[in-house]
Amino acid sequence: MTAVVLDGIVLGLQFGLLGVGMTLVYGLGGVLNLAYGQMAVLAAMVVAVTLAAGAPALVAAGAGVLAAAAAGVVLDRTLMQPVYRQRGEHRVLLGLLLTLGVAFVIDGLLVWRYPTGTLRLAIGGQAVPILGVRMRVGSLWATGISLAVAALLLLFRATTPGRAAHSVIQDEVGARLVGINPAAVRLFIFALSGALAGLVAETRSMTSPVSVTAGFDFTILALIVAVVGGLGNVAGAFLAGVLLGIVSTVSAYYIGQYITTIVLLGAAALTIVIRPRGLLGR
Amino acid sequence: MLEVSGLSAGYLGENVVEGVDLEVGVGQAVTIIGSNGAGKTTLFRALCGMLPVSAGRVRFDGENITGRPTHRVARAGLAYVPAERHLFPGMSVRENLLLGAYPGRPDPSALQLVFDLFPRLEERRRQPAGSLSGGEQQMLAVGRALMARPRLLMLDEPTTGLAPKLAKSAYEALQVLKEKGVTLLVAEQQVPLALSLADRGYVLENGRIRLEGASEDLARNPEVRRAYLGVA
Repeated sequence: MTAVVLDGIVLGLQFGLLGVGMTLVYGLGGVLNLAYGQMAVLAAMVVAVTLAAGAPALVAAGAGVLAAAAAGVVLDRTLMQPVYRQRGEHRVLLGLLLTLGVAFVIDGLLVWRYPTGTLRLAIGGQAVPILGVRMRVGSLWATGISLAVAALLLLFRATTPGRAAHSVIQDEVGARLVGINPAAVRLFIFALSGALAGLVAETRSMTSPVSVTAGFDFTILALIVAVVGGLGNVAGAFLAGVLLGIVSTVSAYYIGQYITTIVLLGAAALTIVIRPRGLLGR
Repeated sequence: MLEVSGLSAGYLGENVVEGVDLEVGVGQAVTIIGSNGAGKTTLFRALCGMLPVSAGRVRFDGENITGRPTHRVARAGLAYVPAERHLFPGMSVRENLLLGAYPGRPDPSALQLVFDLFPRLEERRRQPAGSLSGGEQQMLAVGRALMARPRLLMLDEPTTGLAPKLAKSAYEALQVLKEKGVTLLVAEQQVPLALSLADRGYVLENGRIRLEGASEDLARNPEVRRAYLGVA
């Protein structure tokens, strides 16, 4: 049981970061980015290709994260501009449609170029015992990186730019009144979101292979986590990620791998029925 | 400090305010009085780039700021406190104030000024802004605007939703600010309060300036007395 829960936490921290990237963009721009998972896969493929070309692992990992962040920047600067001009429901709908289109385009291009593309960051070394459970080194790396990034996000929140980003989520008019340019904040958050997607793809590949077709799985997972945590709520997304990670490994262990997605969706639906605005939603 | 000439603005191509001329000098307190729907809020929103200007010009400190985006108007030193306040409800009072100084570092003396003016905010600095009472939220909105040490502070109906006693103390705080040399432009329906603070005033009716003059003259004007001061 301890082993299953520990594995759940390893997975959950990554779910959490994945959800944070989704929820931030929604909170700031009112966009549910359906191409989010494709940004993650883009990063994975960039890493695989640069590794194959002989680059050191760290350089390849950096290139992957940068590529996903750049995809975020391009998306914000181009297709999202007409979306930001819309308000309310129209904004959400147009955002969904356009990002869905982008998802298909990225998916198609990647599958066409790398039909069997898979990233697996094998990290060697002896398994380390933790709480009596032998943890694979890949899991520990993934966890360490996830925790470090979560800590960085927490620190960032207390800086002036972090506060400014948060203020745009809270009240965009208020943010403009104190001199914050919401467009600049959105651009930055879109890049950050891409970087998080790319990073999660990389940490995932440390424990299980990330295939070129994994895009929509990442997106759906991120959506579930973001909704359960309360859309737009960063702490909520992280908490939801950890909880759902545990739910996911427990159900995979006791019920079966193939039914895990159904259990996850069930857990999400139950949360929404009990707390319609998510775990920490306002 | 602020010169507005021939300003027209509105919604969906329809002007709500038309041909407004207005001037605020350095260190002055000026009020715009008018009833609900006279166009006070529209005028303010147009001044700080929240609404497109269809005609006319806004000059601030000798610079043309007509149609500039709101965040750049704010950085130029024109702080606007709307009636709806637009605080950051989930952030603490302190964080709201710190953001007021964006993008600069919060100035300790500005923070001290705000806390001296509104000791209540210092007591509640750790509470989320959304948990404050209406009067405290108004204090916070003004405090947040002061953190940037603005050269002009524009307030839209600072007494909205406040009980008469609180409305009066809000104006006492504005009086303190005026004595400290802060330039003020206040839109108000509560005309006696506004005229007690202001050096000069404008009467806005149906989107146009009907009257203007020194506050004492306006207070004595029979039209103003009949329409806004409840004197037959």
